[in-house]
Amino acid sequence: MAEEKEMVNIYIMGKHYQVPYGLTIMKAMEYAGYRFIRGCGCRGGFCGACGTVYRKPGDFRLKVGLACQTVVEDGMHLTQIPFYPANKATYNLEEVTPTLGTLLQHYPETTRCLGCNACTRICPQELEVMHYIAAAQRGDIEKLANMSFDCIMCGLCASRCPAEIVQYNVAILGRRLYGRHIALRAGHLAKRVEEIKAGKFDAEINRLMQMSKAELQKLYDARDIEP
Amino acid sequence: MATNLSFQMSKEISGRIREISGQNPYLCIQCGTCSASCTGIGKMDFLPRQVIRKIQLGDPGVLQCRSIWVCTACLTCTARCPRGIDIARLMEALRTINLRKGNEILVLEKISLDLIKEIPQMALTSGFRKLSA
Amino acid sequence: MRIPYFPGCTLYARARGLDNSTRAALAALGIELAELPQWTCCGTVFPLAQDNYIGMVAAARILANAAKAGDGRLVTVCSFCYHVLKRVNYAVKNNQEAKDKLNNYLEESYAGETRIVHPLELIRDEIGFASLQSKAGGKLRGLKAACYYGCMLVRPAAELAFGDPDNPTIMEEMVDALGGEPVDFSWKTKCCGSYQLLNASDLVVERVRDILSAAAARGAQAIVTSCPLCQFNLDWVQEKFVPKTNGFSKIPVLYFTQLLGAALELPADNLGLDQHYVDPRPLLSGGCS
Repeated sequence: MAEEKEMVNIYIMGKHYQVPYGLTIMKAMEYAGYRFIRGCGCRGGFCGACGTVYRKPGDFRLKVGLACQTVVEDGMHLTQIPFYPANKATYNLEEVTPTLGTLLQHYPETTRCLGCNACTRICPQELEVMHYIAAAQRGDIEKLANMSFDCIMCGLCASRCPAEIVQYNVAILGRRLYGRHIALRAGHLAKRVEEIKAGKFDAEINRLMQMSKAELQKLYDARDIEP
Repeated sequence: MATNLSFQMSKEISGRIREISGQNPYLCIQCGTCSASCTGIGKMDFLPRQVIRKIQLGDPGVLQCRSIWVCTACLTCTARCPRGIDIARLMEALRTINLRKGNEILVLEKISLDLIKEIPQMALTSGFRKLSA
Repeated sequence: MRIPYFPGCTLYARARGLDNSTRAALAALGIELAELPQWTCCGTVFPLAQDNYIGMVAAARILANAAKAGDGRLVTVCSFCYHVLKRVNYAVKNNQEAKDKLNNYLEESYAGETRIVHPLELIRDEIGFASLQSKAGGKLRGLKAACYYGCMLVRPAAELAFGDPDNPTIMEEMVDALGGEPVDFSWKTKCCGSYQLLNASDLVVERVRDILSAAAARGAQAIVTSCPLCQFNLDWVQEKFVPKTNGFSKIPVLYFTQLLGAALELPADNLGLDQHYVDPRPLLSGGCS
């Protein structure tokens, strides 16, 4: 016997639909007949393509969520932001230095930050966007990189910024500088690369390359498997 | 220099100047103390006293003068005005009206890279706040 | 004594010398500066427009957070930060609309309790210049220092209360207590040109020339200041623009906390003295008088 499923009322770009309770916004839109043919992303909460903004009647607050992760609620008036134009600086990561100068050279508009916090409020990942921009303004690249780590580049912050900063681009420059120039190098990785270059694994690789399919199959079947 | 004495400025703009600055330009007696104290006079097309006069006479051209963009907001004029007018706020009102329309003077592309790499950030932050839209 | 401290963006990065020397000098005098756990740019320059408050939001947030630190005071040394924080605080206390709008937006209930304190005020009030003199008197060996205040520390006098806006003396009192010879000159509260370095840089060159010549004419061997932008303008412009042939000899521009640190004989590498364009070290280590 099928359970009675409650239907909820949602408004997609102003048009009313009734969709089953329990669906994500993305599934609900597809239920309503929309087909996502471009940029709907990974459907797994990771790529930032499906940033959705919504409001509910009687509440002036803007709310956000990822369409692929957020379950529909009765009374949601929603839309997705289409591609929002962003200022993206070009740089050669190998040539730039991990300094305040690099950040300001590529994104001087960072100093226009008013401290209004609209970016933080709109972030679906609940990141402290204003604070990582504050870290950028003072050249604290490590803090910038760590605080923006979970950013999925959805672009909602940039769409709200009165100072026209593209926060996620500033952040990714910070993370790239950190990863390439500041973070400690993994010692064991470097050692392994040296070993490979020295030919430590050449004999074994050659041996495998010479094997027949049957021999490889035997090796494969007999491999160690974690229980 | 001849000045047009008929009030040409719209009520909207003159009202906006008063609202943004919170100052009454008609308190000014044209003593010139502000001009004498001003940091930026060397680069100004109209002295601070003349700028106030233009506001008093309703000259809409006051919004186009260079003076407002070379003001450093040092507040010396405000500190010295014998009538207690906050002249810096009047200058700010003229800049603000321009900036809100998108008329700005500090364009990012014109700042030299050398300067961006060395200048204290407070100069960029304050420069953008005062001179860019 | 441990007091909440707001460094500001510039001190964190491009005026590290001022931050380090302030912390070190005050620590040597028994005051530990406790940086606020989380802070943003203060929004430097106090917005003069009366019809909206967005420019005050950042400062108001900092003040509200500082109030939660429990001490009641907030120390800041950068002149711009001092000016903005103090004026926004004054607005919250005296302008009901500002207080309501800012609190409403920030979802705080801040009433202006935080007291903004400059390190010079801290030294004067908590340590005392007499006590400073007994610790480090005579150490500057008569060094002739012109104290340059600039604009943002002293104006508007009603709100900042940093002494007489045309003739403040607190920095001179410090120099005197340390055994230096304060040199009075008429340009000590004139504007250096500030952010116009980005727009009308000749203006800055003109003002810097005026300030330096006025100080040099009175026999100053060094200029002492509190503001990173003033320091940059006075220092960098000498290096870039002032020709060496017109009889002008370069004059080092340093922070008052660096002078204090030198007098307290703190390790020089922590004072940032090597970060200036016109090197003050020969003057400080060699003959001072």
